Amino acid sequence: MSLKRITKELNDLGRDPPTSCSAGPVGDDIYHWQASIMGPPDSPYAGGVFFLSIHFPTDYPFKPPKIAFTTKIYHPNINANGNICLDILKDQWSPALTISKVLLSICSLLTDANPDDPLVPEIAHIYKTDRGKYEATAREWTKKYAV
Amino acid sequence: MDLLDSEDNCSLLCDDDYDDDDSIDLYESQTTATGSMGDNVCHKLNSLVSDDSGFEIDEELLNEDVEDDLLSHHMKSNDRAPEGNTSSLKYECLTMQDIFDRMLERVHHLQPIFSMPAEDILLLMQRYDWNEERLLEEWTEKMDKLLIEAGLSADDLGSGAGGNVRGIKRKAKFECFICCEDKPTETFALECGHEYCIECYRRYISDRLNQGKVITCMDCPLALKNEDIDAVMGTASSARLMNSSIKSFIQKHNRNYKWCPYADCKCIIHLNDTTYLQECTRLHRSWFVTCKLSHSFCFGCGYEIHAPADCNVANAWVKKARKESENLNWVLSHTKECPKCSVNIEKNGGCNHMVCSSCKYEFCWICGGDWAPHGRSFFQCTMYKNDDEKQKTSVENSKRTLKRYTFYYRVFNEHEVSAKLDWKLGQTVGQKVKVLQEKMGVSWIEGQFLADSLKILNEGRTVLKWSFAAAYYSDASHNLTKIFVDNQILLSNAVEHLSELLQIKDQEAIMKRKPEFYNKSGYVQNRTRALIECGRDLLRKGICKPAD
Repeated sequence: MSLKRITKELNDLGRDPPTSCSAGPVGDDIYHWQASIMGPPDSPYAGGVFFLSIHFPTDYPFKPPKIAFTTKIYHPNINANGNICLDILKDQWSPALTISKVLLSICSLLTDANPDDPLVPEIAHIYKTDRGKYEATAREWTKKYAV
Repeated sequence: MDLLDSEDNCSLLCDDDYDDDDSIDLYESQTTATGSMGDNVCHKLNSLVSDDSGFEIDEELLNEDVEDDLLSHHMKSNDRAPEGNTSSLKYECLTMQDIFDRMLERVHHLQPIFSMPAEDILLLMQRYDWNEERLLEEWTEKMDKLLIEAGLSADDLGSGAGGNVRGIKRKAKFECFICCEDKPTETFALECGHEYCIECYRRYISDRLNQGKVITCMDCPLALKNEDIDAVMGTASSARLMNSSIKSFIQKHNRNYKWCPYADCKCIIHLNDTTYLQECTRLHRSWFVTCKLSHSFCFGCGYEIHAPADCNVANAWVKKARKESENLNWVLSHTKECPKCSVNIEKNGGCNHMVCSSCKYEFCWICGGDWAPHGRSFFQCTMYKNDDEKQKTSVENSKRTLKRYTFYYRVFNEHEVSAKLDWKLGQTVGQKVKVLQEKMGVSWIEGQFLADSLKILNEGRTVLKWSFAAAYYSDASHNLTKIFVDNQILLSNAVEHLSELLQIKDQEAIMKRKPEFYNKSGYVQNRTRALIECGRDLLRKGICKPAD
């Protein structure tokens, strides 16, 4: 069942690709994808291309896919290992969500971080107290790792 | 005799009362009332129940046990000198159904305002953490938005064509978005029109039921009602959701409601007035409650009965034990070598009097020393001996601290293991009584001295066990601590004697030594009480206080 659904999502992505994101399998394994997100223009990540790895569980879509950044990124909700703190990837996951919808959610997370539910408290603290410093660092990281 | 003067239902007793009480029946309060007095109490009890004076228990649940429970509590209140109401608080033991009835009661109060089914209000209340005020405020401010957020009404923007009907449909051809299967199937959709095949819905619902949250449509916040869940699943599955809403209710009111911590026990203790709790915490008192199934626990911290330690000491001890236990577990393996012949010995009974099966050396499991001096009244092995004070370096100090802790942790554990083994022993006691009945012609009532002794033994062990937590945190140089340790030794001694008696297998010997059972168990009771009292003194005077 998961195979059919993943194949369908792949076809849909090919037919109607979302702006600023792309995704597809790595090699022969349909359960392992790579995705890329363009840094949103109205964010300090603008100009960067961020890569993510996607692992589908065998009981997809009843369980959420495992998604992590492989490109380093300075963000209150993304840690050094690339793990993303996003509700729809955890308890708010619904079988009606798709990879495309999830990637768009990650894009909007890049624009609007959620410092009240941080994965990296230090970055969240800077985000809240010195927004300028946060943006400067994020831009620096983007330039260094994502261009 | 007015039995109902101060307390008209179960009284929550703090260890204070517990000490003063003659039989330590708070643990498993099962004192049997006898004679005319019992009748009198029963009469009062009935009028009490029909009065409906706060103690809400189902008639059918008011079985003999509960009556006995009540009786013993009433009798307690009767023979204790009144100290004002500060020392005893009312509590009641409820079932999940009782809690649910209470939830519905609150929901019914709101029904005139909301004019919607009780189930929907329940959902709103859950969403607003059972805070009626906040719910009503938001209700008057933004009714429509609230309904959509709570999943009670469909958001017009998100829905497809209007006029969708909630429910299961039979389709000759349907492609489900979730599983991407294209086949004739049954489907389910709410008013929002997000339609999926029934197998996917079933899978989704059963996942969600485990999480215990409100179940919504897979694609929008519209909530499934209980009847929808049951219809899709084909069984009464929504009951599980109800259970979790009961749990969330208790969670929200966790100051007044506590689950019985015993495995598989579904009882809930409700304490209406918690104002005394803080006061009593200050006075180092703990509140031990007993549920309908005779499980006793501390209302303050949820641990087992931990007198003479108070909640702080018990907490500190448990935390420390958790932290250190990994280092110590290997030290405390289940076997010990015989101090004489080094054969590995496993302890298979509660008694600490060991006889090596290989060399017949008799020794004490706790200290490893010769058993001979233990039988007398100067049983000293539970005392920590601070042997040499020569080394003063910090390394040595920390080593000694660990050593000291290891000692107390080990003894605490030994008693826990012993208690468990005693409990196992207890299961054979019932059989023993039966054998006595059959072979010796002893009546059931007469045989109960065995069961009673076992109960007293268990109580004594628990108190002894926790007394080592208290002792660990006490200032060893203080005179009261020394008295406390002496009391530990006496209780330890008494408990061992009783434990040994209970190991006897021969029926004739048991009956012959019956007076001994009475004597020893009476002595254990006295010692238990004395130790608790002593522990309370330590706490009150600040001699015993958790350091970390």
